[in-house]
Amino acid sequence: MSLADGRTRDLRLAGLHKQYPNGFAAVQSLDLEIPQGSFFALLGPSGCGKTTTLRMVAGLEVPTAGTIHIGDQDITHEKPYKRPVNTVFQNYALFPHLTIAENVEFGPRRRGEKDVSAQAKEILELTELTEQASKKPAQLSGGQQQRVALARALINRPEVLLLDEPLGALDLKLRRAMQIELKRIQEEVGLTFVHVTHDQEEAMTMADTVAVMNLGVIEQMGTPYELYTNPRTTFVANFLGRSNLIKGTVLGREGSGADAVVKVDMHGTVVTISAARVHTESSEGWVGIRPEKVLIQPEGTPIDAPGDHFSGAVVTGSSYIGVSTEYELLMPWGQEITCFEQNTGRRGGLVPVGTRVDVSWRPEFAFLLDSSQDAEAGIQET
Amino acid sequence: MAALQRALGRNSAYLLVGPAALWLGIFFVIPMISLLTTSLSDPAGSPIYGYSMTWRFENYVDVVADYWPYLVRSFVYAGIATVLCLILGYTLAYAIAFKAGRFKTLMLVLVVAPFFTSFLVRTLSWKLILADNGWLVETLKTLHLMPEDGRLLATPIAVVAGLTYNFLPFMILPLYASLEKIDPKLNEAAADLYANPFKRFWNVVWPLSLPGVVGGTLLTFIPASGDYINASLLGNPNTQMVGNRIQSLFTTGSDYPHAAALSVILMVLIVVMVMVYVRRAGTEDLL
Amino acid sequence: MSEVTPPGENTKKGVSRRGFIVGGAAGLAGIAAAYYLTRGNGGPGGTLEGCVTTDLSDTEARLAVSNWPEYIDEDDGDVLSTLSLFMQQSGIDVTYTPDVNDNVEFFTKVRNQLGACQPTGRDLFVLTDWMAARMIEAGWIQQLTKANVPNLDANLISSLEGPGWDPNRDYSAPWQSGFTGIAYNKSLVGEVRTMDELLTREDLKGRVTMLTEMRDTMGLLMLSNGADPSNFSDSDWSAALDKLSKARTDGQIRAFTGNEYINDLAAGNIAACVAWSGDVAAAEDENLVFLPPEEGMMIWSDNMLVPVQGTHKANAEKWINHYYDPKIAAQLAAYVWYVCPVEGAREEMESIDPSLVDNPLIFPTEEYLASTHGFMALDESTAQGYEQDFSDVIG
Repeated sequence: MSLADGRTRDLRLAGLHKQYPNGFAAVQSLDLEIPQGSFFALLGPSGCGKTTTLRMVAGLEVPTAGTIHIGDQDITHEKPYKRPVNTVFQNYALFPHLTIAENVEFGPRRRGEKDVSAQAKEILELTELTEQASKKPAQLSGGQQQRVALARALINRPEVLLLDEPLGALDLKLRRAMQIELKRIQEEVGLTFVHVTHDQEEAMTMADTVAVMNLGVIEQMGTPYELYTNPRTTFVANFLGRSNLIKGTVLGREGSGADAVVKVDMHGTVVTISAARVHTESSEGWVGIRPEKVLIQPEGTPIDAPGDHFSGAVVTGSSYIGVSTEYELLMPWGQEITCFEQNTGRRGGLVPVGTRVDVSWRPEFAFLLDSSQDAEAGIQET
Repeated sequence: MAALQRALGRNSAYLLVGPAALWLGIFFVIPMISLLTTSLSDPAGSPIYGYSMTWRFENYVDVVADYWPYLVRSFVYAGIATVLCLILGYTLAYAIAFKAGRFKTLMLVLVVAPFFTSFLVRTLSWKLILADNGWLVETLKTLHLMPEDGRLLATPIAVVAGLTYNFLPFMILPLYASLEKIDPKLNEAAADLYANPFKRFWNVVWPLSLPGVVGGTLLTFIPASGDYINASLLGNPNTQMVGNRIQSLFTTGSDYPHAAALSVILMVLIVVMVMVYVRRAGTEDLL
Repeated sequence: MSEVTPPGENTKKGVSRRGFIVGGAAGLAGIAAAYYLTRGNGGPGGTLEGCVTTDLSDTEARLAVSNWPEYIDEDDGDVLSTLSLFMQQSGIDVTYTPDVNDNVEFFTKVRNQLGACQPTGRDLFVLTDWMAARMIEAGWIQQLTKANVPNLDANLISSLEGPGWDPNRDYSAPWQSGFTGIAYNKSLVGEVRTMDELLTREDLKGRVTMLTEMRDTMGLLMLSNGADPSNFSDSDWSAALDKLSKARTDGQIRAFTGNEYINDLAAGNIAACVAWSGDVAAAEDENLVFLPPEEGMMIWSDNMLVPVQGTHKANAEKWINHYYDPKIAAQLAAYVWYVCPVEGAREEMESIDPSLVDNPLIFPTEEYLASTHGFMALDESTAQGYEQDFSDVIG
């Protein structure tokens, strides 16, 4: 099952397309290459097509067009029960009439393997379920059921393990614990994990690579750090964390190579953005800055980290979260932006609402997005 | 329900049980006592002058000795009909539960639709279908699937066919109820875990539908073994079931004690068979 | 239903209520058990000494009649039915219910009330000879006042006078009579002349039905053995029963039936059968032939009876008298096609439907009547023995 031939067994989706009979195109011309052994996350809001993609890889859904390969092997039209792929289902889909051990042994037994009990014993130990082996799923807690679902899939040593919102049904604390647990297991077994989730924090903590999906297409793919610090679209900027998007006019481009920059007029202040962080060709754009990169200081006191600078903002709201404080700032041009400030204690209190403040951020943190995109795209309702 | 319970106060449990208890008391317990005492009465009496209760247990010996072939025949016919119902009903219930889509409700209504006409009328219409000069027999003869002097009506085949038809809905409904409860995700999970369609059915769908199978077979077998309409309308004197014998002892024979004894034996045998069956099916906790 | 009860009392009350239900159920069961153990089962246990029925006819112009289905004519345009005529002429309001489908079934319906001298809600019902005999013997039937039924005495045809179980027709008046003989479908088989042909002919194998009415089926069988059903011995009975049993085992007999045989005969599911004359006549199917077996056939009557606690006896007698008016009887006979028990009806038929005048199934000739036989009156225990034998054979 593993790499006897020495060649890589990357999962490759090419031109994958899925249109339902009612005309709805759930996935549109998806190209994706997932390196063998990586922990890959498909992140997106519900209805974005991530689960459909997963189901096509599992063989539970037939693509309208495109191919799916593992290494050289074309599995596009392979029956689900013949694919070297296993799934951890949302809500687990454990067999209610079978014991935990029988659930775990289900796959190997169907393949007619020998020595199934020993394998099951091993995997139950790995997932810390030895005590539960003879119970029925209904007698287990949510976290335990989740581990059974994982064990039931892992025992088959699939080349690709698909996880469909595997932690969605757990409470926050358990979810955190399981995130670490899943990551540990993935590192231990070294399989390719494809993890589908709508929880950006979950995707970022666990995955090596994250693909953000929206409306059937991949908006951007990269490491969590790349995605967060340099989003290419307003959707990614808003869906992964939060962003302040401020209208700006491109004045011109200067320099070349790594030093190339774009100058943007933002309501009278000219800001400079590295060309690598500019994702638009047009003359207008959204200047994006993460709230935690925004620094404030009451008018008249110096800001110790100078950068792009604005005066005349007013604090219109603040919420104290303990570790940090979130300020709402009304900018001189009438837009509200958000600022997260670490409560380092340096300030010795909060900035009261109504205070006039100076605002600044370091130019290297800003990014420029296409102004034709919706500035509200990807904002999650809380 | 909760509102009702509150309204009835703390003794709601008793009040809720009360009407059912009264109903059972009047319409089950008392007739049972009547039946039992009749079955132990002296058959020398008559319906007009009454039977005296003499603890005559020989009635039971008599009916078993005289009428055991009717009991055997009843259970054989009911057994065959139950198996046929299971095969027909399972495929249909499966189709309704998983494949019918928006036609689900319509199909369920169609399954129940025969109940809108009387049992008797439905069985009588089978006489038309199976008639010696009817289209079915004629067709079978034309196709040489049946000898020239062959017939369907007044044969065991007709009786079993009638039983199968009449009790099919009792099989389908519980089967549907338990199939419908099966999460389609389980089927997908099994497919994902290397189970081909046959293994998926055998290892997942079938075991999960067992409560329906047990319920359906009981609801079919029990009334089918006691049925007499099918044998009486579609059978011949050599295909009479125990229900027919009880009926003719009671009416033509005016022999209430033996009729009652035979009824009690039928009832006891069914209860014993059901208990053995349920235990062997291992579904006590599912029932 | 909600009651506010102090908490302390609640448990007590709960217990007592549960006690009430459990105790009530047990008590009910106990009473029932005691009842059945002491009284025995299946019958009220004895004839009715001192059961007196008060006749309310003088004050109540009502009458409740139970009869077999399709056994009476109906209003047809301007022509009033015999029933409407009766109501018009007598001013008595009749509740007519066709709820007698089967002698035994009807018997089980009314036996508890009759046996306990309680009203059945009926003033008059119609039952076949043997069941009528049984009820008369049990004392469940009121004696008719001869003076109130002059037409009965005057017009009852002689062949129906004085059966063994009611020698003076003190208790019963035939409603209609009929013959039990052989019927066959002439489009399927040739003439079936005797019971022996019916029971043995190869072309009839599996295509014959017999009646579940013991006296009809067994009567014909005894006749075919040369025995007299109106006066037979146990060995005559056994010989006939053996013959029936053999035919059944051989597969000659397809079923033992009630009225439904006539549909099967018309549909061709059966080719020949033991049949009642009126059924064949009323079927109006020219392929269906009724004929008396060469060795003789059975005659029977359905009889009007006034049960105890039938509180409108005088009204019932007016009804009987009405139907023994030859003109009324002819009108009824023209509709139901059974043997008319009323003398003089034949003459009246001339003006109603001349084609029926010479129909021997309605107005049998002397010659026809000569071949008919009644069934011996049986006492209760003999009847029961025979019925059990018979039911064992027909299954």
